[in-house]
Parts: sequence; C-alpha cells; structure tokens
Amino acid sequence: MISEELTRRIFLRGSGTFVGSTLMRAGVPALAAVSQAACSARDEGATFETITTAEAREIIAVAARILPTTDTPGATEAGAVYFFDKALGSFFADSLEYGRMQLATFQSGVAKAYPGAERFSDLDEVDQDAYLKANEQTPFFQGARILTIFGVFCLSKYGGNRDDMGWKLVGMDGPPHAWSYPFGYYDAEYMKEQENGE
Amino acid sequence: MANENQVTFPVDEPVDFVIVGSGSAGGIIAKELSTNGFKVVVLEQGPYRRATDFTHDELSVENLGELTGGDHRVNQQTFRQDANEVAEVRATQPAFYAQTVGGSSVHFTANFWRLRELDFKERSMLGSISGTNFADWPISYADLEPYYAKVDWDIGVSGAPGPNDSFRSRPFPMPPIAIKSSGVLMERGASKLGWNAQVEPLAILSKPHNSRPACINCGFCMGFGCEVGAKSSTLAAMIPLAQASGNCEIRAECAVFRVASNDQGRVDEVFYYDPDGNERSQQARAVILSANGAETPRLLLNSASDAHPDGLANASGFVGRNLMWNSHSNARALFEHPLNDFKGVQVTRIVHDFYETDTARGFYGGGGFDGRPFSAAVPIKYADSGGAPDQPRWGTEYKANLEHNFTRSMSIFCGATSLAQDRNNVTIDPTHKDRWGRPSLRITYKDHDDDMAIAKFLQDRAVELLDAAGAEKYWRIPIEYQSRGAHLLGTCRMGNDPQTSVVDKNHRSHDVPNLFLCDGSSFVTSGRGQPTMTIMALAFRAAEHIGTAARNNEI
Repeated sequence: MISEELTRRIFLRGSGTFVGSTLMRAGVPALAAVSQAACSARDEGATFETITTAEAREIIAVAARILPTTDTPGATEAGAVYFFDKALGSFFADSLEYGRMQLATFQSGVAKAYPGAERFSDLDEVDQDAYLKANEQTPFFQGARILTIFGVFCLSKYGGNRDDMGWKLVGMDGPPHAWSYPFGYYDAEYMKEQENGE
Repeated sequence: MANENQVTFPVDEPVDFVIVGSGSAGGIIAKELSTNGFKVVVLEQGPYRRATDFTHDELSVENLGELTGGDHRVNQQTFRQDANEVAEVRATQPAFYAQTVGGSSVHFTANFWRLRELDFKERSMLGSISGTNFADWPISYADLEPYYAKVDWDIGVSGAPGPNDSFRSRPFPMPPIAIKSSGVLMERGASKLGWNAQVEPLAILSKPHNSRPACINCGFCMGFGCEVGAKSSTLAAMIPLAQASGNCEIRAECAVFRVASNDQGRVDEVFYYDPDGNERSQQARAVILSANGAETPRLLLNSASDAHPDGLANASGFVGRNLMWNSHSNARALFEHPLNDFKGVQVTRIVHDFYETDTARGFYGGGGFDGRPFSAAVPIKYADSGGAPDQPRWGTEYKANLEHNFTRSMSIFCGATSLAQDRNNVTIDPTHKDRWGRPSLRITYKDHDDDMAIAKFLQDRAVELLDAAGAEKYWRIPIEYQSRGAHLLGTCRMGNDPQTSVVDKNHRSHDVPNLFLCDGSSFVTSGRGQPTMTIMALAFRAAEHIGTAARNNEI
C-alpha cells in the first residue's frame, strides 16, 4: 500500500498540489514520451528544459547533501537533477512556481545565516548540512528530499537513476526482476537444513 | 488497452444482466453468467489493461496513481472522522481501490485467507456490543465452503492447510510458494514462543494452472499488476473466459452514474459516461452492482428518485453504513544478514494464533499477522519511510543505512477486526465531484476503541516475535485512527431482516427484485483482514443463485 506520509508530503500546500495532473490526464503514452526525452537529456548532459542553470546548481547542491557521494555514487552521479527538470516540466508542473518561490525563500536565508555567501551552493559541506538541518521542516526541503529520492530510485527512464545506480545502491539489481531461490541468508540456511534432513 | 474480439450488444435492447464493476466479484459473476448462456454487459470505469501493460514503475504506480484513478484533483474523495466535521479532499484516497478491468484484484497483495466458522456467527457466540451493529451473517461457513473451494481451483490458490483452519472439502490445487527469509524468521520466532507460523495461502500460482504461468518472483505484487498473469486477478482468471463465451461485453472506461428504476419498481436502465465523456445508457433485465464497498453504495445513493428518495434499495437506511476497513498495525525490524525480501511474493508465513476473540482481553476482536518486506519491497518507499524513527532521514548516515538495511529489513503486518458502526459510512459529498462530474465519495470513519485495542494487542505480539526471531533492532509504527482503507466492507450488508440489511442472503435487494449487490459491501462482519477470498467466494455463490433464479423466471 502506498505510504500516506509520503503522499502527504508530495502534495504540498500553496499551489494546491505537487503532483500536477496534466500528464495523468494525458495518460501513460505521454508519460513515456517525457521519459524518453528525460533519458536522452541525462545521458547527453544536455541543458535543462524547465529549470534554469542557476536553479539546477542549487538543486544539485541540495540533492548532493540529501544523498551524498561517498565511496559509492550519490544523487549527483545518479543524475537526480534531470529528474527534477523533467518532472517539474511535466507531471509535477503545477508545483514549479511554488517550488521556485520556496527556493527563493530558502536562498534568502543563506546570506543572513552566513554573511558573505549568496546562495546555498557557496557554502562548504559542513555549513550546507547545518543549514539544511535548520530548514528540515520547510516545504522546500521536504519537496527537495522526496524529489531527490524519486530522482535516485525511479525507473531510469524518468531521467534519474542513471544505469540503475540507485537500485544497485540498496542491493537491488535492475530489471527484469525475475529471481531464483534462495533469495536471502535465512531461506538459504533453511533450504540447507531441509536438504540435510534437519 | 484494446478489448478486441468480443461481442458487442446494442444499448437500446435489454441484455440479461448489466454488471457494474469487473473486479473480484464482478469479474467472477460475469464469467459465471456469460458461460451459462446469459447476455452480459460489464461496465468498468477503469481502462482495459493487459498483463503486458503492467510495469515495475514505482513512481507511476505508487505515487501518481496509475492504477487507482490518478491524483486527488482528478479523482476527488473526501474524508472526515466525525459527522460534525466538513469533509475535506484528501491527497490519498480514503477509499483506496484500483480503476482497471479486474478492479482491485489486479493490484492487491494476494493474501488469501478464508473466513472461519466463527466469523459468521460471532454475534451469537459473544452477544451484542453496545453502540455497534454487530450481527451474525445470514449464511454459514458451510454454506460458503463449496465456493471457497471453487475459488481455490478456478481462480488459482497456492497454499497448505494450517493448524487453525476451518474444514476444506478439497485440497489446495497447488503447493505453497517457497518460503522466504521473512517466513523463516516468522517460523523461528513463533516456534520459540509456542505459536504456529503457518503457510500463507496466496492468490498467486506456484505452478502453471488453467493455462496461466507460475510466479516469476519479481516482487512487484503489492500495489502492482502482475505482468505474467500469475496473480489470480479476475483479469487473469475470469475475464478471458467471460469474453470467450461470446456472451460478455466488457465496456472499459465507462463510469456509471445512475441506475434507473421504472413504475413497476424494477431497475431497467444503467446510465454511464463513455470513454469520450458522453452520456450513454444500457437497458437490462436485471442489474448487478459489484463496484466495491465504496462505489456500490455511492451509486445507489446517487440513484435516488421520487420512488427511492433516500437512494435506490435503501428503504432500510443501511446503504453506506457500517463501513469496515479492518484494523491494522505494523512492526518493523532489521536483521544481521540479508533477507532480500524484495524478491518474490510479499508473504509466505502467517500467525493465526490470535484469531479468536478472547473475552479475557477485555475487548472484542482478533486477527492475524504476517511477515513481509512491506516498504522494503520497493526502493522509493523504503528510502522515504523505511528507516527506523531514530535514524536520520537524509545525509551520509542515512545513505549508509539505506545501503546496509534495505536487504536486511522486514515487517510484521497485522490485520484484525473492525466493528460495524453507524458513524463509519459512505455518503455523497455535497460539494465535491469526481473527474466525471459525479458527486464524490465522502468517507466518515473513526476506528472503534476495540479496533484500536486489537491492533495494539497484535502489534505487541509482533514485537515479541521479532525479538524471539533474533532481530538486531525493531520498532513499532505508531497506531493512529485510520483515514484510508483498501478493505471496503459492510456498506450494503446481507441479512434476513429488510429493516437492518440491504440485500438478502442471495444478494438480491430487499426493495428491488431485479437488483443484486455483491462485493465487499455484502459483508456483515469484517473478518480478520484479508477479505478478497471471501468476496470471490460470495461472487461464485451469488452467480449460482442469480443464474438459477433467472432460468426459473424468478427475477
């Protein structure tokens, strides 16, 4: 069953909805067309179609703290920003202006908290984490967090999850998902016990 | 998406039956009546998707409502906890169901419990419960058992008998799905506690059956359609047979908004919006509503007329009342080694040792619980809400936890009774409309104190089991009043008394002789949490009685 908590946060207040309905009305073929375009953009490193380069820079910086690059890939390598770009230009389009307004509010606080800095991406990682911590409950952060998750773990056709990077990160190989037994440690152990007559 | 190679009937000539809804009940009744020679038109508001249309697209299916009618702006429902409140549109649909040919049997998890003898007569066993409409069913387990067996074999159920099961006249048609790590841990914990972890019956094929393939263990069962047809939906198991009969037309993307009755007090025409939004109607000799426990009462209430001012078939005033969602609770855990529970079906073992009401507990109710990945079946849901409450929700440690824990997670999901209450109901919202312009569903719901108590009781047992199974860490999901339900039960209950029920024991309206209602709305009590098997058994039984009555010219 769908997570109600998750969905509640997708549908942010203000613009009424975070999930635009335009493509849902248009149906799956329209979603597929958007997906193909998003895939091409990510793989070719194309410019953004919906968000500005400046907005993309901030989104990349925020997403990189939500799911950082460590010894394994993070949101940056997964191309999550391309998901933001395509989603906010299509099935989440109704939230674009509200998201921009929230980003502006988010950015305006940076200079107050960190004199000399103009934007979030100017901060070093320690200050970025501290600023995000202080803004965890804001609509901007909540929206950015869930979009980052979508961008890392969605099907790669939506622009993010490059090379199924997000799925591999959690130990889930990519499609086609047809698995053979045993699946895990405990059922393997169980099978051995059965075979040994225990 | 096409529904090729099927008969088409003229709309201005009456067919034998119009069936509204093609889900767990409607799909079965359509197959049974059409293969017995009756002319049937099925009106389904969702599109006609085939198995090959189903994907593993979590974003679209779980977050954009691909199978459930889209987001809240195009598919509005409203919710309130109390009748004194103004109901508000919810981001998540309070009545959660699929809109697609095959209905919610397409996207359900496929847990397939039968009711037991006691479920049908608990009122007699326990006495009345003040402030509720707690009652016996007008049928017994013995009445329904042959149809449970028919579901096992015709629909396709894998499993093995459990120590607490009621009698069965035929064995399972196929062996259980192989045990998963979550099932092994259920067995380990239950054994230490002296409980029984029994095989979960599943509407998922462990072997090829009735020309359908076995499960490929893809793991996308809960909320998703099955891309190989191994999940025993009516889409996979019944609709093809209905269409092959040459007597059944499936009209997809046709949203019914009114059932009309004539001067003789009989229904004779069903009005709907076709896929282009045009008003159409189909004449019929009899009408069967199997639209689910929310949509069936909505349609009856929206079909009010001078002859039926409170809604069609609602002389009792019971249409829409007694909504039961089953109560639920959940506990989650992390284990030392990978379970990889995202592979394969959700559930392989259940505990039913607390099924019966124990008056010593001080409240009514019982239930069962199962081991499953739940959110650890799919990565978006897990990344968003799968972690423990004391773990960070973003950042380096969050990411490290995702990497380590996704494969090591499991949940115990508890399902239990709900009591029938007047205050929990389906009514028509006075303000909001759905995407076709029909007055919206308005759900009013607040769990009974006993429902909350049994949810807590089972969660306590779940935590004990996780501890006994050796979990490294476990936690409870807070139990709150529910604001959303996928089990839509009780809203047009069956009964012998026309004053306190909507249909008789054979699903015929007490008020309208050629109107039948069969789906989750027919339930009198809620059972313990997995109603689809019983909805399907009721549908086979209803179809037999309706067909016999039609042949005897008794409709």
